[in-house]
Amino acid sequence: MKPSNKIRVCSIVTVVAIATSLAACGSNPAQKTSCSLPEGPDLDRAISAARFDLETGCEHEFDAYFQRLLVIAEGDPKKENKASFSDFLIWANDAGLLSKVQARETYNRYFGVKYVSLISDYSVCSQTCPQQSDVMRNMNRELADKEQGLLKISADRINYTRASNLFQETELVLEATCEACGPIE
Amino acid sequence: MKIATCCERIAAQTLYKQLLIGWLLMAVAVYASASAPTINLFPTTVLEEIKHTGSVAAEMETGLQAVISQLDEQQKLYLESKCEGNEGDPGCERIARQLGKSYLEMLNVMADRLPEMETAVNATSSSLEKRIRSELGQKKTSWTLQELLMGEGSGNPASTSQPSLRGRSGMRLSDRFSQYYKLVARSGGNANSSLAVIASDIYLDMQETSSLIARTREEISRATLMEQLNQSFGTITPEMQEVVAGVKAILFGEEMNVIPMAVPPAGPSDNDYESALQL
Repeated sequence: MKPSNKIRVCSIVTVVAIATSLAACGSNPAQKTSCSLPEGPDLDRAISAARFDLETGCEHEFDAYFQRLLVIAEGDPKKENKASFSDFLIWANDAGLLSKVQARETYNRYFGVKYVSLISDYSVCSQTCPQQSDVMRNMNRELADKEQGLLKISADRINYTRASNLFQETELVLEATCEACGPIE
Repeated sequence: MKIATCCERIAAQTLYKQLLIGWLLMAVAVYASASAPTINLFPTTVLEEIKHTGSVAAEMETGLQAVISQLDEQQKLYLESKCEGNEGDPGCERIARQLGKSYLEMLNVMADRLPEMETAVNATSSSLEKRIRSELGQKKTSWTLQELLMGEGSGNPASTSQPSLRGRSGMRLSDRFSQYYKLVARSGGNANSSLAVIASDIYLDMQETSSLIARTREEISRATLMEQLNQSFGTITPEMQEVVAGVKAILFGEEMNVIPMAVPPAGPSDNDYESALQL
């Protein structure tokens, strides 16, 4: 065999080898996240699993993961759960999944006494009264979330009672204030 | 000369001390007012109006107490004498006429007293309306209103500042005003959160009372005419019984549903977890 032919054969063999190895790489895909919601009663483990998934392509499922974590936490109500959710939401903010405002509002919606439904920039007469019934409806929904977060997850009856009383007082004071503000123009 | 200088020095020192104390007191007052903004829901005029409404209500109750007791007695006698369905009986007819007379008397007392009562209630309601509109409606957002109700800035935990009276209570009208007055006076302007709730409670109560009074006044002239006609026939109408029951409910709080008092919210426990996300 001529040396030039030898070189040609060698080149072909090399190219074939490279092509084969590339094809082999293609047929062995990288591990893909399946976005399956965490299972089991252990909240810490569930949070770890959720964090892994949310970091690896499942970020669009954040709400579903958060809801699942809440349900898992209901299985073992304790005060420490508040801190677990706080850490999780801070992590979600750091990971760019939630803005700081979203993280804060989500935490307070479930674990705070104050109502994020009442966040507003303008006066009660001009902003709240024209949509008083909507505000009360949203507060009522938030009270249900606080029942889940404070009572069922954190076993924090004292703060849930405070939230519940705050709801009643706000309802009474808003009713009187909106009556005093007069008809909506 | 030396004595004079010494005296002058002592006087100057005293004056200086007084000035210093005065300045310190002023600084404290300024700091206190800056650190705890108070809401002015109950200026003296509103307090006086509440007090006045209470005394007008008390006068009306006194005027009606005797005639209502008489009505109760006569009604009892009417029932015990088994007069229902036995209207033709001369004895029953006599009791019914007496009952009708007492009823007319009650209507007259009410017709006399209600205008003053209405004026007092409306004045209190109107003053409170202005205060609530300006202090809560225009100066607060729903978020700062919430903070006020939580007791922030007052320096007092919410648990100690809650009013002991809540909602429409099944009590005498005058007692209700007396309670309101005491509650406001007891708060001493420090417990803003309670005052907002009390003011709202009184205002809504006033609105309700005002419309009840207006409706009652409309009814009185019609009821008086009807009863004058009934006097000729000597019958007790169910309407009569209903009006008397209504008056008793408004004035003496009888047969009214008592709304349970709200449990004061307890303050946060010492080892309460506080998140970095806490609002």
